Amino acid sequence: MIRNSPSKSGLSDPVALKDVERELDRRMFIVQGTGESPILRARMSNLVIYCDRPELANEVANEIAEIVATHPARVLLLLAEPSGEAGDLTATVAVRGRVVDPGRWVCSEFVSLHAKGRAAERLPYAVRSLLIGDLPTNLWWAAPQPPSMAGHLLYDLAEHAQQIIYDSVGWIEPPKVMAATASWLNQFEARPGRVPWRVASDLNWRRLKYWRRILAQTLDPATAPGAAESLSEIMIEHGPHAVIQAWGLAGWMMSRLGWRVQQGHFQEGEEISWQFRSPAGLARLRIRRLPEGTAEVQRVHLNCILQGKPGAFNVELHSDRRISVMPEGVIKAEQRTLTAPVQSRAELISRQLSDRERDPVFHESMAVALILAQRLLGS
Amino acid sequence: MTWGAHQALLPQPCALVIFGAAGDLSWRKLLPAIYNLNVDGELPSNFAVVGFGVGSKGDPDEWIRERAKDGITRFSRRPPDENHFAHFARSLFYVEGSFNDARAYAQLKARLESIDQQFGIPGSRIYYLAVPPNVVGMSVDHLKAAGMVASPSDTRVFTRVIVEKPIGRDLESAKKVIADVDKAFAENQTYRIDHYLGKETVQNLLVIRFANSIFEPLWNKNHVDHVQITVAEEEGLTHRDPKTHEVTGSRIGYYEGVGALRDMVQNHILQVLCLTCMEPPWSLGADVIRDAKSGVLRCLRPLSREDVKTSVVRAQYIAGDINGEEVPGYRHEVREYFASRNQPVPSDSTTETFVAMRLFIDNWRWADVPFYIRTGKRLPKRASEVAIQFKEVPQILFNAHPDIPLEPTVLALRVQPEEGLSLRIASKLPGPKVRIYPVKLEFNYTASYAATTPEAYERLLLDVMAGDATLFMRRDAVEAAWQFVAPILENWENSRERYLPEYRAGTWGPLEADKLIEADGRQWRTL
Repeated sequence: MIRNSPSKSGLSDPVALKDVERELDRRMFIVQGTGESPILRARMSNLVIYCDRPELANEVANEIAEIVATHPARVLLLLAEPSGEAGDLTATVAVRGRVVDPGRWVCSEFVSLHAKGRAAERLPYAVRSLLIGDLPTNLWWAAPQPPSMAGHLLYDLAEHAQQIIYDSVGWIEPPKVMAATASWLNQFEARPGRVPWRVASDLNWRRLKYWRRILAQTLDPATAPGAAESLSEIMIEHGPHAVIQAWGLAGWMMSRLGWRVQQGHFQEGEEISWQFRSPAGLARLRIRRLPEGTAEVQRVHLNCILQGKPGAFNVELHSDRRISVMPEGVIKAEQRTLTAPVQSRAELISRQLSDRERDPVFHESMAVALILAQRLLGS
Repeated sequence: MTWGAHQALLPQPCALVIFGAAGDLSWRKLLPAIYNLNVDGELPSNFAVVGFGVGSKGDPDEWIRERAKDGITRFSRRPPDENHFAHFARSLFYVEGSFNDARAYAQLKARLESIDQQFGIPGSRIYYLAVPPNVVGMSVDHLKAAGMVASPSDTRVFTRVIVEKPIGRDLESAKKVIADVDKAFAENQTYRIDHYLGKETVQNLLVIRFANSIFEPLWNKNHVDHVQITVAEEEGLTHRDPKTHEVTGSRIGYYEGVGALRDMVQNHILQVLCLTCMEPPWSLGADVIRDAKSGVLRCLRPLSREDVKTSVVRAQYIAGDINGEEVPGYRHEVREYFASRNQPVPSDSTTETFVAMRLFIDNWRWADVPFYIRTGKRLPKRASEVAIQFKEVPQILFNAHPDIPLEPTVLALRVQPEEGLSLRIASKLPGPKVRIYPVKLEFNYTASYAATTPEAYERLLLDVMAGDATLFMRRDAVEAAWQFVAPILENWENSRERYLPEYRAGTWGPLEADKLIEADGRQWRTL
């Protein structure tokens, strides 16, 4: 059973910032009702979400219930419309309660802050005053703009954050944005001279989990001896808007294989390719865009030597959410499969919130992704 | 002794005389506190309140009653109830007169004697000196001259005096204020008030430490990494109407030239530090506890001139944003204040509105444990706490990752806004992987006891009526606290720096404060 604080949306009328805590308390009591056992105000962390469009903020607001069901948090949803008319910063609040055991309510707090025009500059101040001390703070940069290009607002909002979560799906100008993001990552996480550590996490990296798992198993020397060393060509095919995801996978593969990039070629909207020096000699990696399909990696084709003969692995995502591996050029080969369940954005976020460790493999992959980008940009 | 409930002393019949009853303190704090004590049935039946000073209009008694009602409506933890208020107002009076006019004291004396008869008060008095420090000596002299101070050895009636901060502005002037009061009142008649000590959480510090078996064994250098004491205030020195932005009140007149070190550190914070760090007292006797507190002050490592440069940061707020409103900087407020009064506008103020410092207590228990203190105006939120951060677990097992140390265990005692405490520990997240996540175990006074916590002044006024000085500052403690901050004040006063570090209103202080603690590999807590 779910219970909202009053009003259809559960959101209050606008309240003054100084009254936000009081209003949350008041609504908490309303959700509790009378004569019932005390409610549990559940909050594992502060989740600050930054949106730059009302439609996006609405979309995100609809995902919050799912997020806090897995990872209870105080949610601060920020909507900044810097190009809007100059206006005040308005706050609305909501409390959502759900029963976990008979008579035991668990509630989470939600504060929405809407800033227009120059008021967007005041969001970091509002955030500072609304964070709950002693709890980790996560910033979900939900705006489509890459964080590397977001400027000082992101830094101000991330002042107390231990983690910033972003989603690279749909980013455009891949070489430029990958180069910028890889460089930004080091700078953002290092915070020179500062004690607090923080990590940046890309939801796209999380989405690649099953691809990374099946490719690692496919090229494992125990199951395919010599395959990894003999790779001569890798083709990654992706649906529209997933070139960054494919690039991330390419970075990961190159970081694992230790290939050294020599040159690259970029055909916007069609194909990106690089030539490498590999243990087997010259090798090629291509990222190709498919005209249709979901925005994710669809197929990876690996040319290598199998059982002493030229062969290949065809690794493909199917509509039933299975990734299959089919060896080609090998006698008596069986298809192997791995389930890659659909993960909603809310699910990815809620899992990422609890996963605050710096992933060295992600960073190694991004370091290679930067080199790949530099080859294309000629720097 | 009120620390142990079974031994509680009862408040004794008396008249409470508030000097400066027309002022802010009386309006915001004292009268609402007395009203609440009345509603809760805590006051003696033979009791009256008499305001004394200038500023009344019309019938003085009616004026103070209206003023009280207004203060209660705005600031009391419970709104005024007509019946209760009528009862309360019957024992509320005002005598108009100047603090420097002997005739006014004669009138006050006569009025008190009449009220004694009216309410059956045996002649006992509590004088609450809610007046500026320069008026204290004068008031005391007049009280003595008018024969309004009973002997401390008198067992039939008592006279007690409550002295508000600031007690001086440095060691010398503090000694003078103390000596001025001494001329008429013995030390056991003098109650130097610090309202922070009346807060439940502050009192609870001793209970936490000495009524639980798990904390005190850990309360030392072997287990504590460091301690942070924060007193953060959202308010600046000027209050404005949120709609018109016009100035509705200002504390600049008091604050300019005083600053955060004198206003907060020398008294509130050092007192809280004493309760946090003192050795176990052998009893709950007022002087036993005050001896233990003085022991801490005596062990504070004196600051050299170089220490002041490296261990103390002062700063001033500049324009910024609080609660979604743009607010001006301190210097702007100072200029505005003096200009509006047609007084000479001082050259750019160097009064600090923020102080951060690192100090050490050189005794066996706390040797080399740093204590980080910070206080400031116009910080992002009103939040005060004492946080004991325990040492990290060894860097093996769950704390083996060099990049991501586990968040250390922290016991935080929250003084305001919601009094309570929390303990942050590490816990495993559910799931197949071993992922450690910090968990905050919270205790909130209001939520747990389903009642509003009494205001600090309620508790402290009751203690004075009961003759319990435990929560009040003894003269040696006041002097020791001034002695500790003296090198800082001296250093700053001799400094030729015209510009202090700055911080935007609505941020957690200047970069220099971050550097101070980060140089030790630590960081300020996010409140």
